[in-house]
Amino acid sequence: MAIVRPEMKSYIWLQTTDGSIQQVEEEVAMFCPMICREVLQSGMGSSKNFAIKLPQRVNPAVLGLILEYCRFHQLPGHSNKELKTYDEKFIRLDTKSLCELTSAADSLQLRPLVDLTSRALARIIEGKTPEEIRETFHLPDDLTEEEKLEPLRNMTDDPRIRLLNRLYARKRKELKEREKVKNVEVAEERMDKRSVDDLLSFINGGDGDSKCVRTTKNKKKNRRRKDQPRNTTSNNENENREKDVDSLKSECHNGEIEDVSSSSRASMLQDSSSAAFLSNLDFDDADTDDGLDPALKEEIDREVEDFARRLNSVWPERLQEILSLGQERRLLPISIHGNSSVARYTA
Amino acid sequence: MANSSGQDIVSDLPQSIIEIILTKLPIRDAVRTSILSSRWRYKWATLTQLVFDDNCVSQFNDRTATENKLVKFITRFLFLHEGPIHKFTLSTYYLQSSPDIDQWLLFLSRKGIKELVLEVGEDEWFRAPSCLFACLKLTSLELLRCELDPPPEFRGFSCLKYLNLQQVLVAPEVIENLISGCPLLESLTLSYFDSLALTVRAPNLKYLKLEGEFKDICLEYTPLLVVISVAMYMTDDKTEHFEQSSGCNFDKFLGGVPCLEKLTGQIYFTKYMSIGYELGKVPLTYDHLKLIQLYQVSFEDMKEILVVLRLILSSPNLQELQISSSSNAIAASEASDLNFWETDCPTGFTLKKLKTVKMSDLSGVPHEMEFLKFLLKNSPVLEVMSILPGIYVSCGKLNVVIELLRFRRASAKAEIIFIRDQM
Repeated sequence: MAIVRPEMKSYIWLQTTDGSIQQVEEEVAMFCPMICREVLQSGMGSSKNFAIKLPQRVNPAVLGLILEYCRFHQLPGHSNKELKTYDEKFIRLDTKSLCELTSAADSLQLRPLVDLTSRALARIIEGKTPEEIRETFHLPDDLTEEEKLEPLRNMTDDPRIRLLNRLYARKRKELKEREKVKNVEVAEERMDKRSVDDLLSFINGGDGDSKCVRTTKNKKKNRRRKDQPRNTTSNNENENREKDVDSLKSECHNGEIEDVSSSSRASMLQDSSSAAFLSNLDFDDADTDDGLDPALKEEIDREVEDFARRLNSVWPERLQEILSLGQERRLLPISIHGNSSVARYTA
Repeated sequence: MANSSGQDIVSDLPQSIIEIILTKLPIRDAVRTSILSSRWRYKWATLTQLVFDDNCVSQFNDRTATENKLVKFITRFLFLHEGPIHKFTLSTYYLQSSPDIDQWLLFLSRKGIKELVLEVGEDEWFRAPSCLFACLKLTSLELLRCELDPPPEFRGFSCLKYLNLQQVLVAPEVIENLISGCPLLESLTLSYFDSLALTVRAPNLKYLKLEGEFKDICLEYTPLLVVISVAMYMTDDKTEHFEQSSGCNFDKFLGGVPCLEKLTGQIYFTKYMSIGYELGKVPLTYDHLKLIQLYQVSFEDMKEILVVLRLILSSPNLQELQISSSSNAIAASEASDLNFWETDCPTGFTLKKLKTVKMSDLSGVPHEMEFLKFLLKNSPVLEVMSILPGIYVSCGKLNVVIELLRFRRASAKAEIIFIRDQM
């Protein structure tokens, strides 16, 4: 609380969310950018009736702490060492107070104090086990056992984690059986917003690990798949697979056309890992690291190579060929206009 | 094991604060927070400042195993990351040049990377892929032990402000084009370059640090340069090579830096500057130069002394001067040109602002003493002159002190502090 001094000292009036109002020396209060701005822009804070309403996260206790900090730091003439010593002592608070202080300092835009308290909180977290951290911060242990076992989450080398990985692998197999029986979509679907192009280029880097590819289900692709006009074929293969491969190819077409000069896409498709990628695209559920039997896999491989060969040859001649050969081709013929806009038509 | 008596308030903190906290943790611990509770699962995945080093994974004796673990960690992290990445630092001794690094750079180039630091393994130098040159939002780039070979259509980083290249294998014209192609460049550091001849055109450059065996440096257009720090290495045969170079190195290097405030020169800097030097040219005045540090000045070489004098006399506002000498007392006991100080030395100059002089590695050779005499005579506001004798001077110290005490001092306040060796 400010003491009224005989000499003319100016004060700023501040009001916290509980309604209590207090006055603070001007130079101390102005150390907070948010208060400073309020005073300068709206002229508030000059009297009790026009007290500046502080943000909700600033309660009176925490305000006291912040003002102490400001009072010390706004005084010129402190050496760096003195400031450091003060800061170290200042943050010796319980975690609850530290969190409140961080939150309040952030709402008052007092960045140096935010950094100081964040560093203190980080030091509390660092090196502790998850149980210890949960206990310190009163975090609920509410991850399901399956979620905790997710191998992609745990980047640690804890031997417990390795055991859990193995258990998880077993559990996933069980889940897979159950899905096949019930044909129900798995609840947990990763939201991967990346486009096909990014994924293909990632794969081209050599990592054909099916685990990584497993989560590349693209919602956009799903929608597009449904929009593809059914093309009639004389092939008696699994229609689903056909559709999907075609849609993928036409998408690759689109991708290709956007970047006409790149023949790298073609080489990407020639990469054997792309076959693995295609085989991993399952249609009904997100869990896809197995499931296609070898015969179908071969069929897809052949189609992919065929497609890649076609891409590799020069476009205009290709187009002629496609047009002249007509319905035998399973591809939807695509014509390219000068500025690479695409018109699609059936033969 | 949730402690239900307390309240979980930390998870309610705004994401921006959580990210500040997580950024202050080693990245491995930051990722571990994902298994704390359901709300913490993805808090780490939007961090914008990533620092990866060899501490990210526990280290095995087998180098390949550690390398693989590190690669896996970083790849998986990036794979699960969401949102932009502004700062990426990779500093590792385990990872050599590897296609994984290329993949990560490709990924980063699409995430709007702004500050990039790459320091990779020692044996094989990393060859920067072309996607590095597609990171056009870069404001800060630091590379160690790399090979740079930009594609022909590369025009420079238009936002780059800070560039630091150490032990980078790159063609000289590439560096020049890179510097010219970064119009906003403010800070340039080039270290461990061999035989580099460099012409620098950088309209916004404020800070320049060079370290290496430079053949020829010309600061052609650097009007805003404020701090220069040079450590010039030379092999003996290069010195002869220098003698044949054209032009005055002093003018080429310091001829166009009117805003200079601090100059540091080490190893063979003054020797380099003395090549082609002619007394009598109209010098540029460095009105803002306040601190000059020159190390390893050879007081046996008259030309080097002239360079030092010219620098001092062209800086009317010089406040602090630090010089270390590299003279050999035994060899230089008979110095020639001693009458230079009485006859040819420019007179009538006063160093009006010079307050502090530090002279180290003093051997007591005649030219050193004359130089100190000159300083004492012309510095009316000098406060402290501290002398640190060289370690090889054993018996001459007392003579040095006696001589120093005799010199006339222009400043009544001047203290001469003779620092004895720390045993």
